[in-house]
Amino acid sequence: MAETTREHATRDVLVVDELHKTVAVGFRRRKVEILKGVTFTVHEGDVFGLLGPNGAGKTTALKTVIGLMRPTSGTIELNVAGLGELGYLPENPYFYDYLSGSEFLELCGRLFGLRAGTLADRVAELLRDVGLEEARDVQLRKYSKGMLQRIGIAQALINDPRLVLLDEPMTGLDPVGRVEVKAIIESLRVRGKTVLFNSHILADVAELCTRIAIMRAGVVIWSGPVGDALAAGDGDLERFFMQVVTA
Amino acid sequence: MRRVFAIAVNTFRETIRDRVLGVIVLFALGMIIASLWLASISLNQQARMMKDFGLVAVTFFGLVVAVFVAASLVHKEVEKRTVFVLFSKPVGRTEFIWGKFLGLAATMLVVLAGMGLFLFLLTLVVAKQASGWLLVATALIYLQLLVVMAVTVFFSTVTSAILASVLGISVFVAGQLSHNVLSLSRLGSGVALKAASWIVYVLIPNLSAVDIKPTVVGEASASWASIAAWAGYLVAYIVVVVLAASWVFRRKEF
Repeated sequence: MAETTREHATRDVLVVDELHKTVAVGFRRRKVEILKGVTFTVHEGDVFGLLGPNGAGKTTALKTVIGLMRPTSGTIELNVAGLGELGYLPENPYFYDYLSGSEFLELCGRLFGLRAGTLADRVAELLRDVGLEEARDVQLRKYSKGMLQRIGIAQALINDPRLVLLDEPMTGLDPVGRVEVKAIIESLRVRGKTVLFNSHILADVAELCTRIAIMRAGVVIWSGPVGDALAAGDGDLERFFMQVVTA
Repeated sequence: MRRVFAIAVNTFRETIRDRVLGVIVLFALGMIIASLWLASISLNQQARMMKDFGLVAVTFFGLVVAVFVAASLVHKEVEKRTVFVLFSKPVGRTEFIWGKFLGLAATMLVVLAGMGLFLFLLTLVVAKQASGWLLVATALIYLQLLVVMAVTVFFSTVTSAILASVLGISVFVAGQLSHNVLSLSRLGSGVALKAASWIVYVLIPNLSAVDIKPTVVGEASASWASIAAWAGYLVAYIVVVVLAASWVFRRKEF
């Protein structure tokens, strides 16, 4: 999708500045610096792709933004009303085996304080949006990988968030699952939501994103509109990505 | 509070639907029924054997459920990363720990009530000597198991599920013997020994104080005031341990 066809406000929803994260690993608590000064900005209405090879620090950056990890230094400016306006899908999501799809979404809604009437409507609406109406009473242990990914996206949207963070939403999906998840992200964009997602599937990133940041070894080495990246790679995001990460 | 309730309901649903729980309860009912055989070979002690053996079976299988479910309760959430989903929502760590604990407490209530009522009815029908003390004893076993669950949940926030299970069982065994520690301290004259004995006595919950099996089988009488006082002590112990688990869990990163 061409950058020129997109119109979005320039209000910053997320500003990550010089983010550092060091963790202690192993028996000897050896210090490993995962994030070494990550800086990027997500504007309102963006579909923002956070790219990079394995171990670049993408998931750690998302976890730090959501509060699952505390930054060692640096700042995260979230211009939304706390976790109440945020949605998050973790990488390789696992949910409660013995809950049905609708029970799981009801649990998530209750954690946001949704009342019974509103919650029932919201759960029905989301199950329809992600194509799981038929499986609403099926326990999650019987869901396929694609279905789990879709229920994962549904739980991330239960509070109608302004900013949605998706960690590898397309990983492990078959082509049909990928198309479905892409359609969901596209529909979020149409509804004016801001989406930040990690992905290794560059064709999807080129198709969906307005802006991207490329990470390598704990730092952002390039960020900007996806149109600029495509232009620099002669219309091929993969070529541009390789130029940047191997430079 | 509503979030704690939501997590508790979810935990109750998850644990009560787990097939392993059903298998353990079936074993427990089988053991209680086996008390009929023991009763049949005992001379004029049929009712006593049924009650005694039945309460031991309730305690043993209750302990198995309490320890193994409590140990994996928090650990599984971290291991399987369901905490990522919960903590990306406005859920506090303390709310999470209390919700998990209360949900499991509700599951244990169903399990213990089922086993206790089954034993009561069996004693009533077969030996025709059921007493209300049998139900009180089951309620107090439930309280003891809540303490063990709280301690196991605490250990599961700082160590592996297996080690937390072992430590939970150890605390249960030590809790049956903790009054002996105080008795031993009276034998010695050293101040250090007495101080150490008191510290151990305070740290380890005195579970034997609410064990009323002798009353159930008619060997001793129990005082309601004493039961209430010790039950209050155990409830306070549970609150302190769950708060400690919450404090430890608040410092964790995922």
